[in-house]
Amino acid sequence: MYRTKKDPPAPETGEDAPVTAAAMEAVFAGCYDFETRTLHIGGDTKNPVTLCFIDGLVSGSDVAEQVIKPLTDPERFGSIRGAEAVSMALGGSVYVYTAKHREKLGEAAGDLLNGFCALIFDAERAAVTFEVKSQQRRGVEAPKEEKVVKGAKDAFVETMKINSTLVRRKLRNPHLKIKEFTLGKRAETSVTLVYIDGFTNPQIVEEAAKRVGRIDVEGALTSAAIEENIVDNYRSPFPQVISTERSDKFCMNILEGRVGLLVDGLPLGFLVPGTFSQFMKVPEDHSGHFIVASALTLLRYISVALTLLAPAFYVAVAMYHQEMIPTRLLQSMIEAHASVPFSTAVEVILMLLAFELLQEAGIRLPSPIGETVSIIGALIVGQSAVEASVVSPVVVVVIALAGIAGYTMPNQDMGSALRLCRFLLVLAAIALGMFGVAMGCALLVYHLSSLESYGVPYMSPFAGSEGQHLSRALLRRSMTVKRDREPELGTGDGGEAKL
Amino acid sequence: MKRLIFVVLALSLCLTGCSSGLTILSNYRRIENIELVRTVTADISGEGVNVAVCGTAGEESVARMYEKTGSSLGVALGELILLPLGRDAILSHTENMLIGEDMARERLNECLDYIERFSEMRLDTGLLIVRDGTARDLLKGLTGEDTPAPDVIAGLARNISKTGEGYFFTCREIASSLADNGCALMQCVRAQEEEKLFEARGELNIVPAGFAVVREEGGVEFLSDQETLGTMLILQKYKSRNVDLSLPGGVVTVSVDSVETKVEPVFKKDGSLERMSVRLALEANVICLKGEADLEDKALREAAEMELSRIFREAAESAIRRSRELGLDYLDLESILERQAPLKAEETLRNWEQVFPILPVEVEAESTLQRTYDIVDPPQDAKEDQKPWEKMIRSLKGS
Repeated sequence: MYRTKKDPPAPETGEDAPVTAAAMEAVFAGCYDFETRTLHIGGDTKNPVTLCFIDGLVSGSDVAEQVIKPLTDPERFGSIRGAEAVSMALGGSVYVYTAKHREKLGEAAGDLLNGFCALIFDAERAAVTFEVKSQQRRGVEAPKEEKVVKGAKDAFVETMKINSTLVRRKLRNPHLKIKEFTLGKRAETSVTLVYIDGFTNPQIVEEAAKRVGRIDVEGALTSAAIEENIVDNYRSPFPQVISTERSDKFCMNILEGRVGLLVDGLPLGFLVPGTFSQFMKVPEDHSGHFIVASALTLLRYISVALTLLAPAFYVAVAMYHQEMIPTRLLQSMIEAHASVPFSTAVEVILMLLAFELLQEAGIRLPSPIGETVSIIGALIVGQSAVEASVVSPVVVVVIALAGIAGYTMPNQDMGSALRLCRFLLVLAAIALGMFGVAMGCALLVYHLSSLESYGVPYMSPFAGSEGQHLSRALLRRSMTVKRDREPELGTGDGGEAKL
Repeated sequence: MKRLIFVVLALSLCLTGCSSGLTILSNYRRIENIELVRTVTADISGEGVNVAVCGTAGEESVARMYEKTGSSLGVALGELILLPLGRDAILSHTENMLIGEDMARERLNECLDYIERFSEMRLDTGLLIVRDGTARDLLKGLTGEDTPAPDVIAGLARNISKTGEGYFFTCREIASSLADNGCALMQCVRAQEEEKLFEARGELNIVPAGFAVVREEGGVEFLSDQETLGTMLILQKYKSRNVDLSLPGGVVTVSVDSVETKVEPVFKKDGSLERMSVRLALEANVICLKGEADLEDKALREAAEMELSRIFREAAESAIRRSRELGLDYLDLESILERQAPLKAEETLRNWEQVFPILPVEVEAESTLQRTYDIVDPPQDAKEDQKPWEKMIRSLKGS
C-alpha cells in the first residue's frame, strides 16, 4: 500500500494493545453503528476525551443523562485532567452503577459489544467503560410452546440477565451458583451454568463445566450448538438434554439435582442429565391432583407405545399375520381394501409421508393459515382419499391414532425421535412382519439402554437400577409424602424430599 | 460412503422386480385377496376324505363353498387352498369343523391331528359331529344368499348354552380329555328342515343333538338328551334352561338359572372310599303359568321344587349310569378324586379302572323357587334364610 511520509502510523489493534480512540476506531472500522464523540471534561475545550459506543446496544438517554451530563459539568469536573479524571469517573462522579477500568483494547471492545459505552483517555492510554445497556428487549411473557394450565407463566426470554433473575427469584438460596462462560470464536455468546453448590453432584457440575468449556463453535446462536456439544452421544436422535422455556420447570429440575444452562440470546434453559422418564413429565403433573397426574403419566407411556408401534403392527398383521386379526375386523379390512389399488406397505408409507407433510406445512405457515392447512389436510384430503379409494379407512385411523398419540409427548424432540423410529419400524414390518417389529423394538431398547447422560443411565429407573424406583417414573406421589430423590443424580443430601 | 452406496444398491434391488417389494418373508398375502374360511367340513368319501369349506371375502361379500376329495384330510385341504378366482384361502379363522358321523367314528384323530399340527389352525376351533347326514350337505343347506353358514353355526354356539342343550367343545378340550381319560365329549348337531321365513336364509337349519362320547382308539357313542343334561350338570357346563313342571292345577314353566354342583368323595371311618357324592343346588324363577295353580300356596311351591329336583337328579343319575355302562370316565370323577383327596384315595386311584364301574355315586338335588312374579313376590312365607340380605349379614358376621 502506498503511504506518504505524513501519514500517521497505523495504531496497534491487538487484544493487549493500549486503549486509544484511534485504535478503537480501527477495530470498529466499517461498522456503521459504531459511534464516537469528543467531549470536553468539565466543559474545558483543552481537556478532550472520546466517548465510544455501539448505537442500539446502549440507551441514548442513559448515556446523555448519566455519563455526558456529569462529565461536562464544570462544577463537578472543573479543571480535573488525566489520571485524576479517570479516578473520579470510576469513583462515582459519573452516575452509572457499573464502571470498569480498561487498559487493554480487547477488553474495552468487548465491553462495547456488551452494551457499555467507553470514555477513552488517549493521554493515559486507558478507558473507563460504563454499563448503559439498551432496554429494548422482549419482556417476560407466558410460554408459547409449553402450555401452562395451572402454574407460573414467566417464560425465559432472549436476555440472559432476565433469565437468571427469574431463576434467582424462584430459588432464593445463596448456594445457587451461576457461573459464566463465553462461547463462540466470533459471536462470543454468554452461557451460564446454574446449580446449587453443596447439593448438586459436583461430578456432574464439573463434567458440565468441562463440556461447556470445550464447545468450539463460531457462535452459540442455536440450541443445537449447545446441545450437540454437551451430550454423551450426539448421533442418537433421542434428546439427552432437557430444554424448556418454563422457568418453573427449570427450577424444579435444579431442585432435583440437575445442572442448568442458560444461554444469552436463547429463550430456553437446558438441563442435564436428561433421562427418558424426564421427557415424559410436564410441570402440570405437580400442579394437578397426584392421582390424575399419575394416570396422565401412564397415558403418555401408552402413547409412546401407540405412536411407535401402531403403524408397524398394522403393517405386520395386515401383510403377514392375518390370523392375529379378529374375524369381524379382518372381514371389514378385506372389504375396505378391496377397491384400493396400492399394497398395504405403499398405502401406509404414503399416509405417513402425507401426515408428516401436513404437519410440516402446519408448523411453517403463519398460525391462522397453518391451522387451516391442518384442518383441510385432515378432513378434506383424508376423507377424499378414502372416498377415491386411494387409501383404506383403517389405514387412516391407524396413522391418525399414531400421530395423535405422538402429539401427547411433552417434549417435541422426543416426539420427533419417536416419529423417525416409527418409520424405521414400519420398514422393518414391511420386510419381516412381526419378526421385524420385534427386531426393531429390540434394537431400539438396546440403543436406549446403552445411552448415558453424564454418567446416569438414560433409561433409569427402568434400566440400570434393577427396577427400583419404578414408581417414581410412572407415578407421582402426593406432596404430603416424602419420597426418595433420584439416586442416580447423587445429590448432596441423598435423602428424601417432597418432590 | 462405500457403505452408503451398498445400502442404496441393496434397497434399489427391491425396485427391480427381483423381489416382491420390500417383503422378505414367504407368507406375505395381499389382504384384498384373502378368502376367509370360517367353517370346514370333513366326511368319509370312499377310501378318502371329502372336505368342504365356506369362505367369504369380506363382510358384504357372498359366501362361497368349495369342496375337494383327497386321500387324507391334509391332502384334501391342501388342494382346496388353491382356490379358483386367484384368491388365498386362510384357515386361521376357522371357527368350527363339522365332522360327519362316519368320519368321527373312524378318522377323528386325523382331524384333531391336523388342527394340532397345522400352524394356521387354532386349537380353539369347535368340533361338531353331524348326525343323520353328511357334514357337507349340512353346510350346503345352511348357506343362504345373505346368511353364511358360519354365521348360523356361530349363532348356535352363542345360544346353545343359554338353552342348556349343549356345549361346543373345542379341539383343545377334546384332545386334552382324550389324552387324560381315553375318551372325550363332543357336541352333536343335525340338520332340520324348516320353512324358509325369509329368502336370504338357507334351506336347512342346524339344531343341537346331544353329546357324543368318542374313544381314543376310535368309536362313537351317543348320549340321550337326559344324559346330556346330566353330563352338563356334573361338568358344570350348565348355564340356563326352561323346564315345565306338571303340578296339581296346571303346568308351571320355570327358568333354572343357576345350578351349583358339588362333587366330593365320602370316606369311611377307616379311611377307605365309601362313595362319591354329587349335590346339586338349583335356583329357579317362574316364567309362565298354565292353569289354575296358586303359587302363593306354600305346599304347591314345595311340590314344584321337589319336582324340579327330581328332574335334575334323574338327569345326573342317568349320566353317571351311562358313563359306568360305557366304562368311560368322561365325567372326570377320577380327576376330582385326585384333586380333593390325593393321599387318602391313593389306593383307589391306583385301581381306578376296577373301582370305577362299581363305585357308588349318590346324587342329591335341592331346588329353590326364588321368584314367582306374582303380586306378592317374593312370597311372604319364604324361608328367612333365602333372603339375600340375610345371607349377606350372616356371612359378614361369620367372617
